[in-house]
Amino acid sequence: MVEKVLIANRGEIALRVARACRELGIPCVAVYSTADADSAVVRFADEAVQIGPPAAARSYLHIPSIIGAALKTGADAIHPGYGFLSEDPYFAEICGEHDITFIGPPAAVMEKMGNKASARLAMKEAGLPLLPGTIEPVATADEAQYVADDIGYPVIIKAAAGGGGRGMTVVNRREDLRRAYQMTRAQAQAVFKDSAVYIERYLRTARHTEIQIVCDSHGDGIHLGERDCSVQRRHQKLIEEAPSIHLTPELRAAMGSAAVKGALSVGYTGAGTMEFLLDEDGRYWFMEMNTRIQVEHPVSEMITGIDLIKEQIRVAQGRPLTHSQDEVKLSGHAIECRINAEDPERDFAPAAGRLEEFAPPGGPWTRVDSHCRPGWMVSPFYDSLIAKLIVWAPDRGEALDRMARALSEFRVSGPGMRTTIGFHQRVFAHPVFRSGDFYTDFIDRHMAG
Amino acid sequence: MSTPEPQENGEGLLESLVRQARDLSAAMPGALSRVTVSAGDHRVEVEWQAGAVATVAPLAPGAVATAVVAAFPAYEPEKPGGHAVVAPLVGTFYRSAEPGSAPFVNEGDIVEVGQELAIVEAMKIMNRVEADRAGRIVKIVPTDGEMVEYGQELIYIDPLDPE
Repeated sequence: MVEKVLIANRGEIALRVARACRELGIPCVAVYSTADADSAVVRFADEAVQIGPPAAARSYLHIPSIIGAALKTGADAIHPGYGFLSEDPYFAEICGEHDITFIGPPAAVMEKMGNKASARLAMKEAGLPLLPGTIEPVATADEAQYVADDIGYPVIIKAAAGGGGRGMTVVNRREDLRRAYQMTRAQAQAVFKDSAVYIERYLRTARHTEIQIVCDSHGDGIHLGERDCSVQRRHQKLIEEAPSIHLTPELRAAMGSAAVKGALSVGYTGAGTMEFLLDEDGRYWFMEMNTRIQVEHPVSEMITGIDLIKEQIRVAQGRPLTHSQDEVKLSGHAIECRINAEDPERDFAPAAGRLEEFAPPGGPWTRVDSHCRPGWMVSPFYDSLIAKLIVWAPDRGEALDRMARALSEFRVSGPGMRTTIGFHQRVFAHPVFRSGDFYTDFIDRHMAG
Repeated sequence: MSTPEPQENGEGLLESLVRQARDLSAAMPGALSRVTVSAGDHRVEVEWQAGAVATVAPLAPGAVATAVVAAFPAYEPEKPGGHAVVAPLVGTFYRSAEPGSAPFVNEGDIVEVGQELAIVEAMKIMNRVEADRAGRIVKIVPTDGEMVEYGQELIYIDPLDPE
């Protein structure tokens, strides 16, 4: 079981998974669109299958082609990475029908936790704290008005099927509620093919604090501490760090065990993330669960020494967790910056193009997860992440200095190429960011203009 | 262009023509755009970028073979000439509608645009592979039941219509 892994993804995460497979001695298969024919993972993997044209709908999202590639190469397991098919319960089910191990939770569990509304219900039953709001989707504008008035403004309207920061509207004033309700429903229908929305209280001064968990198929689960992901623009994370300086050991233990308890209560297996909002008074509320590996998983790896991708594969093989909760030791401080091919001057508009220069930083405790190289074409077909820069240091202050140093080394250029490197440099020089005393509105409040 | 017929002992003739083409292109000044070696009616065609064609007299009558070598003649006997029909997706290549029935086409058949040539099956869905050029089938590459990937060359057609 799990003797050859097909990686149903592209970019840095496909390479990340391939590296874990190589270290475990498991052969791996890359799949690629014609736009990625000469990609890093295609060069690295033991085998590669071309699955379609650049448009993801006909390649990385095309289930028959991915299953076909697994059958062609004899892969008995599929790692979905993040994005694409990683949270598609139907895909997980199809894998099972073809005797292919889906490296992730069971399809039914993914379905329950992938829908924000049903996840809220399940976690309420497991005893996790929820923000005031609705459990069931809100069916009419009248009901939405009634519910929002009852909760008190501001509220946030969220698409039940939403994810990745999309399908959410903050409503500050009562008179905007109906219009926002209709708009979010229409958007949810268009983007997620499901118009169901629910409403909860919106916390203006909250920190996005998420708990990394791993559960095996023997009923055991552990947490690897938290990540603070409060630096976001339009609900998209830009900087993640671990640990959060706002958690006491007691609060960490409480949130961690709540996260594990919640995951085990629905029969979760594999790696996953429980997202919480943490307010100024140290109270926390369950927001949603990501039933997959996350972009920012390296910061947890850096402070625990646990390779999360290998852990996912081992758990999929039916093996028990390699660590008990007592053996998980958090050490030092890690920070990740997402280096995107985007123009911060033009509201982070994607800037695709060929990389003439791509010289990532090095040096002590400096990790770069990237699929890019000089000459590589950053395709307009896919997301704009070109590298993840991760540093570790014994404490937060040194980690900030190390990241600032690493950013100053990073050279990326090409015709029309813009990146978030300069933006990150300004964040790391900002006294509020350095103090750690900021919330999810940091960019709007301190970096605008 | 010549019409291929059942091959007998064209191997030696073809190689000799290829050698001739190679010598000829080396002797000619300027950039070549196309070299065509035919053994059916025994031709060596050398094309310049301007479009001029030099035709060299045939060697001897006999067997049939065709090789088209783009730019300089790096001769690859495995690569059949003509227009390649490629796989529309990843899946299993089938030459007939069901096991045991007659194949849609055989090598040597003349096909029309839109004619069904094969099936690529993915997750029980049968995807038609159609001829996108009219012409004669010169080569069917995968064997029946073989797994193919997206864009893989399946069937070569020697086109009858002008490009």
